Amino acid sequence: MNDKELVHIADRVREALSQLRKSRYLECTRQLNLFAFRLQDLTCDSRKLGLAITRGWLAASEQCCTSIDRYLNEIPYAASKLQTLLDRRQKEVPTLSTMVEELKAVQAEFEDVAFNAEESALCVVTEPITLEDIYLGRFRILLDLDRLGELYQKVSYYIVAIDPHPAANDEAITHPHVSNEVLCEGDGSAAIRAALEEGRLSDFFSMVRSILSTYNPDSPYVSLANWEGVACYDCGYVMDDESSYSCSYCGNAVCDSCSRVCANCGEIVCGECVSRCEVCDRSLCPECAKTKCSECESVCCESCLSDGLCPECKEEKENNDEEHESETTDENTDTTTPQTTALG
Amino acid sequence: MKLLFVNNDGGGFADYVNVHEGMTVEQFFKDQMPGRKPEDYLIRVNRQPVPRDHLLQENDRVTITPTKIEGAA
Repeated sequence: MNDKELVHIADRVREALSQLRKSRYLECTRQLNLFAFRLQDLTCDSRKLGLAITRGWLAASEQCCTSIDRYLNEIPYAASKLQTLLDRRQKEVPTLSTMVEELKAVQAEFEDVAFNAEESALCVVTEPITLEDIYLGRFRILLDLDRLGELYQKVSYYIVAIDPHPAANDEAITHPHVSNEVLCEGDGSAAIRAALEEGRLSDFFSMVRSILSTYNPDSPYVSLANWEGVACYDCGYVMDDESSYSCSYCGNAVCDSCSRVCANCGEIVCGECVSRCEVCDRSLCPECAKTKCSECESVCCESCLSDGLCPECKEEKENNDEEHESETTDENTDTTTPQTTALG
Repeated sequence: MKLLFVNNDGGGFADYVNVHEGMTVEQFFKDQMPGRKPEDYLIRVNRQPVPRDHLLQENDRVTITPTKIEGAA
């Protein structure tokens, strides 16, 4: 960027900061109104409570107490939010030369600095970032000057992955602390806001880069341990550790749709280890698949076995038994029937 | 002498501080950031990187920015 461009951008930033000053007062008014509404609600419920007590309406009195309790909990939060806004000392908009100095400092700190006129955004590119041996690539930090003036209501900057290496199970998460191009600032939140309010652009970009270069294992969108995900042994679907199941026999990871539950013992098995009942086709683990029909040796679940036989063998056995029984009966009948002897 | 100290650690406040004449950047860091290591910070004077024995001047602007900041989710 040449000096003319720097002056032009510096002027745009100053405009945004002037807008931000106005925006702060508007936000104060909004928060003050919310606070006043809460107080009105409290007064109203207090009056209702008095009336309910006078008339002996105990259920209504209890209801009033519940809502008064709720308002009393909300009021300190609203008051502290308002107090924070009012406490912020009025920041003078930096002079044009100060802003140009800031932009020069940004150029000295980052190799790739550009102004995107279409998006009205000042962009810097970080060096490639690798956290705990996971390569995440370069990121573009895009400060939207149109939104800088609305800092109290909207996100004013974005983190765009240039050569994205997102989490295996969620493409929107390009960094453990970035989701949908929005950075969760964590410990840097107050300092980043202060830098933007004061037009300290080089501090702002440096702090965002510091967050991108640091991994907080206690609060990531996706932990780096699960970044690459786990592939399902059966179908190859990549999932995070929490949504994977482990085969009780071979230990392979399987996804929700590929995991099978043994109909007998309830153990989880993968497609490799699963067997099926040859009668009802339900899944069986290798241990339960040892239960076989004593006649035909087909694999059978416990509910399909009866007297150690599969339904087919059982039926066959019963038919044979019946036949045998009827044959025996016939034979007995034959032996007991008196023989007719021809006489004379 | 009076300096503008921009501390981007924590709240990110910017305020004027009084220091004695002939103070180096290293001494200033030790005084303002007790128990912290200089290698964990970007230290700039008037937006420029300086050596640790750089002598501070009246109205200098000293910026200290942590190189490691923990984000969240």
